[in-house]
Amino acid sequence: MAKIGVFICHCGENIGAKIDCTRLTSAMNDHPGVSVSVEYKYFCSDPGQENVKKAIREHNLTGVVVAACSPRMHEATFRKACAEAGLNPYLCEIANIREQCSWVHTDQDMATEKAIEITRSLIEKVKLNNELQPIEVPVTKRALVIGGGIAGIQAALDIANAGQEVVLVEREPSLGGHMAQLSETFPTLDCSQCIMTPRMVEAAQHPKIRLLTYSEIEQVEGFIGNFKVRIRQKSRYVDMKACTGCGDCIQKCPQKKISDEFDCALGKRPAIYTPFAQAVPNIPVIDKEHCTFFKNGKCKVCQKVCETNAINFEMQDEFLDLEIGAIVVATGFQIQNTAMYGEYGYGKYADVITGLQFERLASASGPTAGKILRPSDGKEPQTIVFIQCAGSRDPSKGVKYCSKICCMYTAKHAMLYAHKVHGGKAHVFYMDIRAAGKGYDEFTRRAIEEDEAAYMRGRVSKVWLENGKLMVRGVDTLLGKPVEIAADMVVLATAITPQPDAREFAKVVGIGCDEYGFYNEAHLKLRPVETATAGIFLAGACQSPKDIPDSVSQASACASKVIGLFSRDQLEREPVIAINNESTCSGCWGCALACPYNAIEKKDILSRSGELIKQVAFINPGLCQGCGTCVTFCRSNSIDLAGFTEKQIFAEVMGL
Amino acid sequence: MSIQEQYRKKAAELLSSGEVKLVIGYGSGSTPDRRRALFARTADDAALFHVDAACDANLSGYLVNEGLLSDKKKIGIFLKPEGIRSVNILAAESQLDPDQIVILGFTEENGTVSGLQGTQASDFTSLMTALKENRTTSEKEQALVDKIEAMTPQERFAFWQAEFEKCIKCYACRQVCPMCYCKRCIVDNNQPQWVHTSSHTLGNFEWNLVRAFHLSGRCVECGGCDRACPVNIPLRLINRRMANEVLDAFDHFSGMNQNQEPVLASFKKDDPETFIL
Ligand SMILES: Cc1cc2nc3c(=O)[nH]c(=O)nc-3n(C[C@H](O)[C@H](O)[C@H](O)COP(=O)(O)OP(=O)(O)OC[C@H]3O[C@@H](n4cnc5c(N)ncnc54)[C@H](O)[C@@H]3O)c2cc1C
Ligand code: SF4
Ligand code: SF4
Ligand code: SF4
Ligand code: SF4
Repeated sequence: MAKIGVFICHCGENIGAKIDCTRLTSAMNDHPGVSVSVEYKYFCSDPGQENVKKAIREHNLTGVVVAACSPRMHEATFRKACAEAGLNPYLCEIANIREQCSWVHTDQDMATEKAIEITRSLIEKVKLNNELQPIEVPVTKRALVIGGGIAGIQAALDIANAGQEVVLVEREPSLGGHMAQLSETFPTLDCSQCIMTPRMVEAAQHPKIRLLTYSEIEQVEGFIGNFKVRIRQKSRYVDMKACTGCGDCIQKCPQKKISDEFDCALGKRPAIYTPFAQAVPNIPVIDKEHCTFFKNGKCKVCQKVCETNAINFEMQDEFLDLEIGAIVVATGFQIQNTAMYGEYGYGKYADVITGLQFERLASASGPTAGKILRPSDGKEPQTIVFIQCAGSRDPSKGVKYCSKICCMYTAKHAMLYAHKVHGGKAHVFYMDIRAAGKGYDEFTRRAIEEDEAAYMRGRVSKVWLENGKLMVRGVDTLLGKPVEIAADMVVLATAITPQPDAREFAKVVGIGCDEYGFYNEAHLKLRPVETATAGIFLAGACQSPKDIPDSVSQASACASKVIGLFSRDQLEREPVIAINNESTCSGCWGCALACPYNAIEKKDILSRSGELIKQVAFINPGLCQGCGTCVTFCRSNSIDLAGFTEKQIFAEVMGL
Repeated sequence: MSIQEQYRKKAAELLSSGEVKLVIGYGSGSTPDRRRALFARTADDAALFHVDAACDANLSGYLVNEGLLSDKKKIGIFLKPEGIRSVNILAAESQLDPDQIVILGFTEENGTVSGLQGTQASDFTSLMTALKENRTTSEKEQALVDKIEAMTPQERFAFWQAEFEKCIKCYACRQVCPMCYCKRCIVDNNQPQWVHTSSHTLGNFEWNLVRAFHLSGRCVECGGCDRACPVNIPLRLINRRMANEVLDAFDHFSGMNQNQEPVLASFKKDDPETFIL
């Protein structure tokens, strides 16, 4: 016999003012199966919860319905209270009479009627509830961090410093990401490499971090606490153990004219190379595409000069299969190719460059050793025009969103230029100056007031070459006048875009993307570092354009999530999972296709003699997230969801 | 040689050579202008096959009889294009291995029957594309579909209520449909009883709506259910409406090939809706 306790909460005025709780209480007292129905001002308060617990013990309740706010608020509170009084927590249900009733109605009578119906339907449901036990899954205490930019490095270090194992995977030959390319960083103007390289070295030397550079993720399977990851270590053609990093091979390589990616095509590199002087690890790779030996079958000069015999042209890619408990995705961003704006002349005129190229010019380790010189003729530019939003906030040609960092780095560029080229004149075209952040507005003001950058609110319509000058035609919208500037160099603040392979990569890892290809967080405000897939977290610019402080904060937040996850040996999961009735399943696999979490596998049903009778769907309880998609799909009605069984839902509906 | 002769001969060869263990085709029915399924196991039986305009049933439903294909042996079967489409669906839904099915394909137009080239379901890809491109409806039928579409929701409800009122819940429409292969149909589930078994308005709507949904993107419009219905509910109109819907909304033509994903179970990860992972 059902013995249900119904607890009707006034939520102060929230419910009490709109619903006649006394009438509701007495109506519930009359409902079959209800042993006790009481009202109270705040059931979520300590005395309120005590009330519930006392009633459970006194009346030997078999089920509890709390008529109160949304289960999103206090389901956990009341389930815990029930458990403390010895009642299985899954025998407690919440009837939402606040968000779904008192808050949205004005007529007291009708609202009370509705509250009676809602509560009644939950009573009918709870009568059919079963005791459920949380599912325990073991946790592999090893984190995978994908991407070795500042975000990935920070996350890896934080996790490792908490004593947990980390595998840090970077697809380029060296750690560093974009930050390694930067000259000085806003808002403090400290040298990027100087603050970056200690972190890179720390990560590489950390006993808890296994660093895999020049490696990529091939496959991710499994679920929170129990991922199985396959990593491809691309062949460097240089034995990492034997190489001492002396660099003799780099000196002698006959191929010297390969456009240098790290210097954004402003410099040249050989076919065997390290991306930059402070690369971590400081071990070169052979760029197979440009290597004379791989192209013509002859050369091997590097092999001849290498004293430790580290070079091996036969090297093959290697695969590593690792068990992983949690994943941090920190794959960063790319800048948009601005060639689509024909009017800016990027790609046509050598002296129209991107902001990232400017960083390389301004960087002491860059192709000009930190001197601002024009790519075309190596002369010092006396006038530079900076164009902000060259792609951002332009739904027609570029991207819709604001790239967030360009206002700041353009101010930085104008400053660096003023410091390096005395007498040089910086003009900045902008749409708005968005400098929200600690010390940010002060920073842009400094560029304008101390370093005398001429800011002009307006767009540029055309850039063309005339008598050796880059003519920039735009409009100053504050003066309402067209302007024309004869410049020596034009710097475009290009949009920050997702990695070109972000959508593909999201599929490999099993997370979602937004409309642009930035990875989706579980909740923009309340769960910004989690993804919708449990156990996978996001750090840095792969989620949205971010500067270094934001990337680092998010990385540390990810680390705290991972450390929290690893603080336990077993994970407890809600037992709300789908269960398949193997005798009625017709093996159509529609459910397997429909399941967004790939939780459904084929299972063979064998006869006693081992012959295959049929194949049915098997739902892996570790993977199932209880979303219910398969339940609605199954035509033969074979799947049921624990905690929301068809019988329970049916009773709930019929209770209305 | 008439097409019937050719196919009798072909069926006999398949059986005598042992390539197939059984050929499912059409034999004489209860009246001279009716055909019923004939299961030939010997070359002699094959002489009893009819191939003519009266062969209207879609025989593919017999293929999913429990255990029929589990010995991995092949079966020959007479199929019209709709039947080939349903074999594709059954294959896509893992109900059979298409390599076990040897198709004796034919098509009928204005009373004349002609043979189709190919023996494997995958041989008919270009035919499927052509069918998708030139979907045809008889003028009479299209007029009715248009008429119903033009009704107000109330009128439409009244129309179907009047039609469904006749339904006696015999489930002949389900039994005849090759796609209704579930061992237990949702209507047979009485814990809970989602679909009322009584023939009242609610129960009748529940059943016919569930049937429509379960067949959307899967019905091949063979007309079996429509012919089977003892009270002449125009089920073909529902089928047609659903087929139009999935074609317009998802470019889905049921039974195009053996790898087709069910329209109600497949989703694309790059769907702009954020609820999709
Ligand atoms: C011109 C310019 C100037 C800037 N100036 C400043 C500044 O002054 N101050 C400031 O705070 N910020 C500045 N920024 C922003 C700064 O660069 C970013 O905030 C920072 O680099 C973000 O770090 P990240 O680790 O998220 O991404 P990234 O630096 O892009 O690192 C991502 C890493 O992941 C790797 N990766 C990508 N995909 C994979 C994969 N599938 N598998 C393995 N590895 C992968 C990449 O190779 C890369 O190493 C500037 C940006 C630009 C473009
Ligand atoms: S959808 Fe239903 S019948 Fe089909 S495989 Fe899944 S559980 Fe079985
Ligand atoms: S409930 Fe959702 S997650 Fe679980 S098996 Fe069904 S579709 Fe997959
Ligand atoms: S629903 Fe009717 S027309 Fe459609 S495939 Fe089934 S029997 Fe044929
Ligand atoms: S065949 Fe006709 S009468 Fe029988 S259940 Fe189907 S629709 Fe109803």
